[in-house]
Amino acid sequence: MYISRIKLFIFTVCFLFIAGIFGIQTAASATPDPTEQFRPFIAKVTATLADPDLKTLSKREKSRRVISVVRERFDFREMSKRVIGQYWRDLSPSEQDEFESLFTQLLQYVYVDGIDDYSGQEVEFTQQRIKGQRAEVQTLLVDKQKTIPVAYIMTLRGNEWMAYDVIVEGVSLVRNYMEQFREILRKDGYSGLTDQLRKKIVELEQENKVS
Amino acid sequence: MILRKSCQTFSRYVFVLVLVFCHGISWGQEVDYLDDESYEPSSVSDPLEPVNRFFFNVNDKVYVWVLEPVSTGYSKVLPSDIRQCVSNFFYNLGEPVRAVNCLLQGRVHDAGRTLGRFVINSICGVFGLADPAAHEFKMSPVYASLGETFSVWGVGDGFYLVVPLLGPSTLRDLTGTVGDGFAMTTHTPWNDDVLTTAAAHGVRSVNYTSLHLGEYEDAKSLSFDPYIAFRNGYFQIRAKQFDHTHQ
Repeated sequence: MYISRIKLFIFTVCFLFIAGIFGIQTAASATPDPTEQFRPFIAKVTATLADPDLKTLSKREKSRRVISVVRERFDFREMSKRVIGQYWRDLSPSEQDEFESLFTQLLQYVYVDGIDDYSGQEVEFTQQRIKGQRAEVQTLLVDKQKTIPVAYIMTLRGNEWMAYDVIVEGVSLVRNYMEQFREILRKDGYSGLTDQLRKKIVELEQENKVS
Repeated sequence: MILRKSCQTFSRYVFVLVLVFCHGISWGQEVDYLDDESYEPSSVSDPLEPVNRFFFNVNDKVYVWVLEPVSTGYSKVLPSDIRQCVSNFFYNLGEPVRAVNCLLQGRVHDAGRTLGRFVINSICGVFGLADPAAHEFKMSPVYASLGETFSVWGVGDGFYLVVPLLGPSTLRDLTGTVGDGFAMTTHTPWNDDVLTTAAAHGVRSVNYTSLHLGEYEDAKSLSFDPYIAFRNGYFQIRAKQFDHTHQ
């Protein structure tokens, strides 16, 4: 009788232990792996950049095609929100949409700038960090001459990790634009900022046409 | 010869170590982009903005009219492998000063690694032309400067400065750069006269630019206010350099 009680006790402990492990595993698997989600995405971006058909397209078409792929894992809304900081709350929903559209167009040309430089560089995934609903995936862009560290800062949207910042060689794109936009907003307000954004987009488009 | 002189430099600074143990050490803050605090604006003041903007434009003209064309020509004459060797050579000469700064900051392990790199690269890397320490011994380079040492000792930035020909800095960092420069003169082989020293620095700048052609123009064309973009870039890169938590 005593032995069977011990057996029952051991069984219960084992059951709880296994259930505990299983529970932890279920909890862990509830958060998707950011690198695993980002790896196929980066492969898709590099495949798009390496596509010989892309070179035959106009600059505008090129950038549109690349940005449509990039949009899959980039949350441009979150990026726009962060880059404009506290001013975001003061904007009307239509102004927010307008800003998001303009800022995305600007980033489109940031990417276009990289298209012509792309010559089969490989992306190595080095490490990742998860902190609550945010994650950082660190990569290395390996070129013949140099290796450039590029990190993606992401937030969890449902089951999908979506990037809202890119850190190239230690410089955050969002932070850098944030500081420039703050100064423009302080001096010329929201309309001044959108004017400058439009001007820059046209400037970059023409610059690309010339090249 | 270089080794002996670097040992002299080393001993000259050892007494300062005492200071480190007498003062509280404040390590560089961790840069964590997963925290919203990392997105706060930089707190370094820029009271000399008009003067800084003037020198920013001067430096821009020097880059566009002199440095960039010279570096482009230089890059056409020398293949990138050789230019990388030149870059390694200059970097290696700075290792003893970096090791001293590591010690002054209380980073004993990093000081050992930096000195180890110096010895390996000077001997096996033919006077530092190659970097076998990083490639064969997995000893990657470590950042350390006198500006960082001052920061660890609790010295504030002062204010932002754009230095003619040197570029973005702060009062503290510029003092550090000058200090590091003087420390380098104890073991660099070109201190006979001002002209040779200037020529060596010129070659270094041209060589560096030749390995980063187009980057300055790209960054400038994508920014709304290049002055602010480069100022912010300077502080972001520096924060990353001072952060040794993920090494």
